Amino acid sequence: MKFRAKIADAACLNHFTRVSCMVAKLARTCTLRIRPHTLNFILADSAAGGGGVSMWCELPQENFFSEFQMEGVSEENNEIYVELTAENLSRALKTAQNARALKVKLTNKHFPCLTVSIELVSVSSSSRMVTHDIPVKVIPRKLWKNLQEPTVPDADVSIYLPVLKTMKSVVEKMKNISNQLIIEANLNGDLNLKIESELVSVTTHFKDLGNPLSASENESEDRSPEQMAEVQVDIRKFLQFLAGQQVNPTRGICNVVSHKMVHFDLLHEDVSLQYFIPAMS
Amino acid sequence: MTRPLRSQPMRKGVRGRPLYGEATSGEGVEAEREEFSKLLKAWAAPSQSLRLSLLGPAAMLKCGMSGSQVKVFGKAIQALSRISDELWLDPSEKGLALRSVNSCRSAYGCVLFSPVFFQHYHWSTSVEMNGTKSNLNCKLGMKSILPIFRCLNSLERNVEMCKIFTRSDKCKVVIQLFCRHGIKKTHNVCFQESQPLQVLFEKNTCSNILMIQPRVLAEAIVLFTSSQEEVTLAVTPLEVCIKSSTEESMDLNSSVYSEMFVGPHEFEFFQIGVDTEITFCCKELKGMLMFSEATHAPITMHFDFPGKPLALSIDHMLLEANFILATLADEPSRASSPQSLCLSQKRKRSDLAVSNSKIGKKDNKAMESISRKVAPRNLYADEILSNISALENSGSPIMKRVNSDTEEEPGSSSLRKFTCNFFRAVSSDQGEHCYNPFNSLATASDSEEEMNNSSFYIF
Repeated sequence: MKFRAKIADAACLNHFTRVSCMVAKLARTCTLRIRPHTLNFILADSAAGGGGVSMWCELPQENFFSEFQMEGVSEENNEIYVELTAENLSRALKTAQNARALKVKLTNKHFPCLTVSIELVSVSSSSRMVTHDIPVKVIPRKLWKNLQEPTVPDADVSIYLPVLKTMKSVVEKMKNISNQLIIEANLNGDLNLKIESELVSVTTHFKDLGNPLSASENESEDRSPEQMAEVQVDIRKFLQFLAGQQVNPTRGICNVVSHKMVHFDLLHEDVSLQYFIPAMS
Repeated sequence: MTRPLRSQPMRKGVRGRPLYGEATSGEGVEAEREEFSKLLKAWAAPSQSLRLSLLGPAAMLKCGMSGSQVKVFGKAIQALSRISDELWLDPSEKGLALRSVNSCRSAYGCVLFSPVFFQHYHWSTSVEMNGTKSNLNCKLGMKSILPIFRCLNSLERNVEMCKIFTRSDKCKVVIQLFCRHGIKKTHNVCFQESQPLQVLFEKNTCSNILMIQPRVLAEAIVLFTSSQEEVTLAVTPLEVCIKSSTEESMDLNSSVYSEMFVGPHEFEFFQIGVDTEITFCCKELKGMLMFSEATHAPITMHFDFPGKPLALSIDHMLLEANFILATLADEPSRASSPQSLCLSQKRKRSDLAVSNSKIGKKDNKAMESISRKVAPRNLYADEILSNISALENSGSPIMKRVNSDTEEEPGSSSLRKFTCNFFRAVSSDQGEHCYNPFNSLATASDSEEEMNNSSFYIF
């Protein structure tokens, strides 16, 4: 198993750092999958402590790395799966803000590590070398099946998301009233966020959001545009998802599967992020 | 013991401090006060003036600063708060020293503001009946003083003058902030009477001296997460490396190992006499860095081999700051804990003068114990003992003598000051293997410990 890659461009480094920070906010421990053309950050729904939430983040390696070499576990399985603490990677990348170059490679120093080597440019225009050895755990082949790309569910309603920052500030306040948030949406571009307690119920209405063209036309015909599809989720999980989004995505879609789950499909430039929150039982 | 009514004003003068119980007064001082009250009983009508002439003026500090000076002063307090929860205010002719020592005695900080730093600076010692002088021994809780110096940027903008005033016969320090728009904020902070501890460390004898701009160090420290308490500084004549401390016993699987190399050309002064790797606590270094950024002065690091303390200092026209950090000793047999610094306590001359026999005995006992423990096992015994004599004789950098009493008898100084620079902890037969043991032999004499052991403030 071998992996070595290099980022030489400051903008790419910035972007990669931001992706890593986003992942760190969404998952404590996650899996990094390395393939010849893509990198994935994966949180499986079976992950302990995840509460059923799952995440799938994919980025095309050519858009980030100027050099990229990998050799998977075997010829037929040319992939590498390692588990790491996401924050370790984001912290290491954050120290590379003034870097001339950044190299990442898989090493084995007493135990497997992802080694990040940074060449910093100092004021006196001389280089300073910084190295971070991030401990990782290699995931054996037999567990790979749990870490595959989740199937996009057949949603009852698909709707474009409003500005995430607005949603976040609204939901932040709602968290103090109740733990259970109802997300409902219809094919008319309406999205409601509702909470209820004994004394009060609060609803925030987002209108004219627009709906993406659904893949299966049949479903949308059966459904009246006004009819809401709703799902009740843990508000803290939703907030955690929103906390990870520092910038508004290029495109954001919310798919509601009535009473089952909500699926968020975001695109940040060339990085795609999918986040699944199951309904509260 | 019944006291005549008239003597009560006198008692307030001598001991107008909050009651801490008997623990605060050493035997010597208590005996002294007994003497006074007996004397006064003999007088028919003691008056205010008589009281003053008997006691002389109390030890006093009075100083004033402008808004921008307050910012630096506040930064010093914030940096020292990283070391411990207690702060000594220690005025002398050299200026006002702020001192702090952590509870496990592995870190010490002192920021000395020279008299010219202030808009005005007055101080005095108290002169007691038998002619002995004693300083303002003022210890404040960080919790009380830190909030006053919060939001330093707004303090700098709004404060026109800050005045600090205290006397040893009052129980409090008065800090007044004269702000814009005629607002005056007065803070009364009670203090505990306590002799400041100081660390005597001859930093100029260190083989390795590095001077660097704080920004470079700050860039290095940022690499280390706050969960990593200790960092290792590894030096050779060719390069300097700051890295995560690796302990064999630690579970390395969860933490990131980071290292940063800095070339010699990045230092303003680079002297490496001995290739070495020293490990120390990151937290106090961060405190020092914060302060140095406020003063825009480079930091000088003095160090030697593992186990010997590391001194971080800033030398500025108007102030001098020194942070002494203990470093991990090299031996595998030792419990992994930073070695504690050896501290000395300045003694009140009155203690010795009045109850010389008692204290003298304790001095001797302690000295004996030092030589007993030091001699057979301690590899550095010779160095230490010679340091003791060296310190007595050498001209003192600011660190050593906080109150240079010029009337001091050289003969008694070796008894008075346990000026041991302990570069490693006491021998293992002491049996103390807690994580951060107070291993210093300068537990001085029992009376001093009692005096300073009380930890409750009554505000």
